[in-house]
Amino acid sequence: MEAATQPREKTMKVKVKIWRYDSQTGERALKEYEIEAPEWVTLLDILDLIKDQQDGSLAYRKSCRMMICGSCGMRMDGAAVLACKTRMYDIVQAGHVPVISAMGNLPIVKDLVVDMDPFWEKFKAMKPWLQPGYEEPPEGKEYRVSQERMNVIHKEALCINCGCCVSECNAMESSPEFLGPQALAKGMRFVGDARDGATVERLEDYSTEHGIWECTRCYFCNERCPKGVDPRDAIAKLGAEAVNEGIDRDMGAKHAKWFIKSTETTGWLRETELVPKTQGVISAISQMKFAMGLAVKGKVPPPFPPHVAENVDEARGLHKLVQQQGRQGYEGIVQGERSLARLDHHLREDGEVPPSEGSVGGMGSLTSADITPGEEPTAGKAD
Amino acid sequence: MDAKHDVLVVGAGCAGMRAAIEAFDVGADVAMISKIHPTRSHSGAAEGGINAALGNASEDDPEQHAYDTVKGSDYLGDQDAIEILCQEAPDDVYQLEHWGAVFSRTEDGRIAQRPFGAAGAPRTAYAADITGHVLVQVLYEQIVKRDILTYEEYFAWKLVVDDGRCQGVICWDLLNGGLKVIGAKTVILATGGAGRLYTGTTNAYACTGDGMALALRVGVPLKDMEMMQFHPTTLAPTGVLITEGCRGEGAYLLNAEGERFLERYAPNAMELASRDVISRAEQTEIDEGRGIDGNVLLDLRHLGAEKIIERLHGTRELAQTFAGVDPIYEPIPVRPGAHYHMGGVDTDVWGLTALEGLYSAGEAACVSVHGANRLGGNALMETITYGKRAGRHAAEWALSNTTVTVPEGIVSDADSELRELLARTEGERPWKIRDELARTMHENFGVFRREDQMQRQGEIVDRLRERFRSVVVEDKGMLFNSDLTQALELGFLLELAQCMVVCGLARKESRGAHARPHDYPDRDDENFLKHTLVTWHDGPQLDWKPVTMTKWQPQERTY
Ligand SMILES: Cc1cc2nc3c(=O)[nH]c(=O)nc-3n(C[C@H](O)[C@H](O)[C@H](O)COP(=O)(O)OP(=O)(O)OC[C@H]3O[C@@H](n4cnc5c(N)ncnc54)[C@H](O)[C@@H]3O)c2cc1C
Ligand code: SF4
Ligand code: SF4
Ligand code: FES
Repeated sequence: MEAATQPREKTMKVKVKIWRYDSQTGERALKEYEIEAPEWVTLLDILDLIKDQQDGSLAYRKSCRMMICGSCGMRMDGAAVLACKTRMYDIVQAGHVPVISAMGNLPIVKDLVVDMDPFWEKFKAMKPWLQPGYEEPPEGKEYRVSQERMNVIHKEALCINCGCCVSECNAMESSPEFLGPQALAKGMRFVGDARDGATVERLEDYSTEHGIWECTRCYFCNERCPKGVDPRDAIAKLGAEAVNEGIDRDMGAKHAKWFIKSTETTGWLRETELVPKTQGVISAISQMKFAMGLAVKGKVPPPFPPHVAENVDEARGLHKLVQQQGRQGYEGIVQGERSLARLDHHLREDGEVPPSEGSVGGMGSLTSADITPGEEPTAGKAD
Repeated sequence: MDAKHDVLVVGAGCAGMRAAIEAFDVGADVAMISKIHPTRSHSGAAEGGINAALGNASEDDPEQHAYDTVKGSDYLGDQDAIEILCQEAPDDVYQLEHWGAVFSRTEDGRIAQRPFGAAGAPRTAYAADITGHVLVQVLYEQIVKRDILTYEEYFAWKLVVDDGRCQGVICWDLLNGGLKVIGAKTVILATGGAGRLYTGTTNAYACTGDGMALALRVGVPLKDMEMMQFHPTTLAPTGVLITEGCRGEGAYLLNAEGERFLERYAPNAMELASRDVISRAEQTEIDEGRGIDGNVLLDLRHLGAEKIIERLHGTRELAQTFAGVDPIYEPIPVRPGAHYHMGGVDTDVWGLTALEGLYSAGEAACVSVHGANRLGGNALMETITYGKRAGRHAAEWALSNTTVTVPEGIVSDADSELRELLARTEGERPWKIRDELARTMHENFGVFRREDQMQRQGEIVDRLRERFRSVVVEDKGMLFNSDLTQALELGFLLELAQCMVVCGLARKESRGAHARPHDYPDRDDENFLKHTLVTWHDGPQLDWKPVTMTKWQPQERTY
């Protein structure tokens, strides 16, 4: 890594504990490492320094080191992060010694490297390729699709297949065959694509035993996704579309099952998907657009989803945003990353959030927890 | 032999995947090898876009695209190859769209196109600031659809040559350990760039020029290896790319004195001047002591928070994560960083190399469409169009030819070479050699090249190669032994560095990315309107190859 070559830079002592594991011998051990590093380093840089200078046998994946290739998913204090997105400075300043381990819900091969085959099998099970409909593109050129219509799958298209969501998925823990958040988000990427002609078949496929309805709605996937894909929202949209298409054959029973599961795992039930559940996501978005348009003109209060409305600051921020933009505010909903960043910024400007807090993202929870890889996670999952 | 195919594609970025899809569609039994999962390939990091004369944003045609590319290449590009690229580009982009690529859209629902440096029309089709990511995803989807076999996390280490043609690849199974031999009637090298030769680079850790070195080691020439493009805005300290879009939105470049120094270098275009011009201006400021810790500053503050968040969200996130700087409040430290290798494996317009059965495409190859300087957006287009062409030709050839043999001797030699390396316990670990190589390449073979520095670099690389001979791999295990593969990668990089130095010294002129302001400040068409070629015989051997010209005679390159 580049650390050694920077001129006159400030350094710090970084300590981490790493769960080492070898699937051939079955050996596992929690080892502590201490290393001098420049203040700008990420967790990935620390692993590189350790591998170079202290232990060449440390195994982890990496490539882009810029949060786009999805190689470096792992756990910090029991919560999935991208190593290259996790800055060490604040953690070191807090005097914390984080515990690094492999992602959950996937078999570990060595140290921080998991076997991704089960992950990709589920990806493939979604038939993840465009199945063109009846409409031919005009003159052999591109399909005509509006940007608004494309935005429906904007978030799903951001997925980098890192596995952080899968690592933390509650439903997969109890039911390993569950298709899981990443695969289902990929499914939504096609269901929401105007060019795809297999919507109904897909929704039927995704609604079978280990599909959409097995999700416990714990929201951990949304919380841990480093790219703002919000897989749980994608699943909610799929569910809504399925209901809309009349695919919910035994919905009653399913509903009951959900409710029990979700309250068992999380202690409570979220209702974010209320709007899309009854109307289907596309129509929900157009309704939202309509209502937001009115909101700009100051006629009706904006139709925030219930969980957002619960949080007064956020709601206020969102409202302000819609006003300031003076444009179709539904984009702010669809493009979650940007609106969150904007929200974060405005709240800071208004002094409503102290500058040191807020959603920087990618940082592991600082509640230290020694999670043994391969065993039941014990802590670090509460949000 | 562990397996056998008609066509074996080494590398699964945009070029490799596009080649495999084409070979499959032609009817061949095709497989891919990749040292990282296909979707993790560095093609996914491309932000800006892909060039094709679709004419969606204004009048445009392939001829205009070709002219811009020829001129941009500083006339070192082969004009037949450029014309093919620009002619086939529009249909190749429509193809991607039909497969489902999530392009950004115009008002009337067509593929949106943005203006990019040195292009006569807004020609760069894009998907927000994640164009490469979107293309990698759509190509992988098509790979999955066709159920094309991928040897994931296999590291290609040696090519098998028998009877004067390439017949397969010897690889190391990274996840499980062990050598694997895969025979093939044709092999396509699509292994990407070699930015890891430099300390500050926009390239991923995987960009170690493996395919170029593999070709070199079986006697295939590399072309224009001195031509490494530097991008003017890479983030200090690691080299992560800050998109040109920032300057497009109106960002300033400042030196330590707070001066917009481009006034002195490009008073008209200012921050929108071409990449090579700005990189050189920055490096001059830094060299003359007006930098800040080896950087200049990219100032976005006057754009305002709203615009930064709305239009440059990705940039803000990168600056916050990797430099701890929020561009709303502070300028971003940037400097020139190694970005794109115009040089690579010498091929014809079907991707065929000098060795029968061996093809190359993408950044690993040099067809050459970029000559001495690549235009933004042309690299992705090259991966698609030339990936396709190499895939088609390789498949057709394979389907009309028969046998594959891998002589036992080649495999046992490879096996003992590896055992010897793994058995060694005394010696130096690779990382110091790697860091020294990257640092000195930056110092001595960077934005500016001087005779004495290049010579010194040649000697440094010689010494590093000497040290590398007794390198020690600490990890002796079988599972995910990246300590081993990183050592093998370093071996590749060292050979490529030597080739670059030899070519750089031979080109006694300034052209495109090869800037020699101190001794040869001008382009010299009389003597150097030709490609460097380098082959390996106990060391790099230099040769030359004429540039193919069709319509355009060299002119002075001004913008
Ligand atoms: C940050 C950044 C931004 C860019 N933006 C743009 C842009 O906007 N527009 C544009 O046109 N171009 C852009 N480029 C350039 C362009 O993205 C690349 O040149 C192009 O994507 C390279 O594609 P490729 O398929 O040749 O190689 P890559 O995508 O790098 O793929 C290489 C493949 O080879 C495999 N491989 C390598 N070595 C081995 C081995 N030994 N064994 C097995 N497999 C191996 C890897 O696993 C990988 O799958 C950008 C480049 C960078 C770095
Ligand atoms: S919300 Fe559903 S998919 Fe997401 S982590 Fe929880 S159970 Fe898994
Ligand atoms: S949805 Fe998010 S967390 Fe899950 S694989 Fe995709 S990017 Fe990673
Ligand atoms: S190394 Fe690519 S996402 Fe972290």
